[in-house]
Amino acid sequence: MPYYRCLIPKDSLDYDQRSRIATAFTDVHCGISAAPRSFVHVAFFEVDGSGVVADSHGSGMLEYDTPYFIAGGNRAGRSPEVRTQILNGLMTRFSEIASVSREDVSGHISEVPASWTMEAGQVLPEPGEEPADWYEHGSARSKPKD
Amino acid sequence: MMRAGLDQEGKLRTMVDFQCTVQAGQVSEDMRGILAQAIERACHEVLGSEPGSELPVTVEWIEIPRGFAFRGGQPSTTSLVRGKIPDGCDRETRSRLLMTIGDEWCRISGSGQDEVIVSARDRGWSG
Repeated sequence: MPYYRCLIPKDSLDYDQRSRIATAFTDVHCGISAAPRSFVHVAFFEVDGSGVVADSHGSGMLEYDTPYFIAGGNRAGRSPEVRTQILNGLMTRFSEIASVSREDVSGHISEVPASWTMEAGQVLPEPGEEPADWYEHGSARSKPKD
Repeated sequence: MMRAGLDQEGKLRTMVDFQCTVQAGQVSEDMRGILAQAIERACHEVLGSEPGSELPVTVEWIEIPRGFAFRGGQPSTTSLVRGKIPDGCDRETRSRLLMTIGDEWCRISGSGQDEVIVSARDRGWSG
């Protein structure tokens, strides 16, 4: 379910950087939430500068004014503090690996109810309602801290 | 003028839009047409509307180049099928829609269940 789209300038990141960012995002997300690592999706889209992008998990448009933008979509139900913690972690790791200023990276995380998504043939449980064996999917790292 | 605006707004509320994000080389152009038909059919069957009538279904495709998508930090072969459906769908109906589309996607494309994610959010959901 976690889906992080990175909007980046054309040719700004090579494969190694993209791969490292994807791994770092997985580490950040799974270090804070209950999601198995295999549930974390990261995609990179090359765009012409800053602008606007359709929200993948909501009806609106997301505006941004930085060269790099992280548009995330997660299961609803986490506290605002946890959401902020995840987003800050993503932006920090992105700027480190991309070797760009933290001020050049912005982001937003939208949420939808878990039951609106099916993954691996199963409708997703809400955060905190995961059955015990859900943590065994993929290579889950930790139980929820929120 | 206001009446026309309301009609248009009402029409939008009853539309279904799906966006399929696939990895380069995973889903051929021919197969996309068949999959789009299957999505449309599933929407009409599960959401209870006749084909071509009051529930128009659109399907658009985004192809991600190799090396630009990852899952769990590894190169991804997963397709994301994300839809916007009319507000107010009950949980059971929505689950049936997700399952039907997922099953059809796997049957047609030959993908494993682990390689497709299907979601259907309310059109008016703010995120």
